[in-house]
Amino acid sequence: MFDPLQVTLKIGASGLEAQSKRMRVVSENLANAQSTGHTPGADPYTRKTISFESEFDEAMGASFVKVAGIGRNHSPYRVEYSPGHPAADAKGFVKLPNVDVLVEVADMREANRSYEANLQVIKQAREMISMTIDLLRSG
Amino acid sequence: MIDRINPLAAPVASPVETSPADLVRGAGATASPAAEGADFGAMLSSLASDAIGAVKKAETISLAGVRGDASVQQVVEAVMSAEQTLQSAIAIRDKVVSAYLEISRMSI
Repeated sequence: MFDPLQVTLKIGASGLEAQSKRMRVVSENLANAQSTGHTPGADPYTRKTISFESEFDEAMGASFVKVAGIGRNHSPYRVEYSPGHPAADAKGFVKLPNVDVLVEVADMREANRSYEANLQVIKQAREMISMTIDLLRSG
Repeated sequence: MIDRINPLAAPVASPVETSPADLVRGAGATASPAAEGADFGAMLSSLASDAIGAVKKAETISLAGVRGDASVQQVVEAVMSAEQTLQSAIAIRDKVVSAYLEISRMSI
């Protein structure tokens, strides 16, 4: 019943949405790469992670992508000796977020590429629809 | 056939200019909707109301986007879908009108 090209547009849109949420998480991680606690020994910002899952739409008979959940990465925090810091513990160590900027930048690039790929799918499907409608015009 | 096409006389306000060659080529494609549907007028008006509905939806979502309630992707998707509905409605209208003109010029 559903036009496969129209469904393609919707699937592409779900991909765009998923990747934009991924960008949001990356930006949170990057922005908070230096966010410490402000009481002695307090935990700093914990890195956020995002995971995707496929969702089958019965009506359209197609698998869309959606965000499965935004979780926390509980790998150990970096520790730095800085006795003057408000978050320094009794020995003078400050816990820093477990965010690796390089990993985040790589993740950002991947989100960008994936977004581009989904945009390309939408562009192509639109072009195919337009070409077909144009048959009516010239004929 | 002719009395089926007759109700079209009212909706056609501004017949498009088409060359005779276009009319000849367009005849085969547009004859079938008339044979299936109740009449041409009803078909045209449902076509128009579909297009208007799509444009209205796009306007609503665009406004929500300006307010910040809808994402860029949603706005673009709705506007593009409205544009496409409108384009196909216009293409079908042109075809139907050219078929009508062709029949009206027929010498009996």
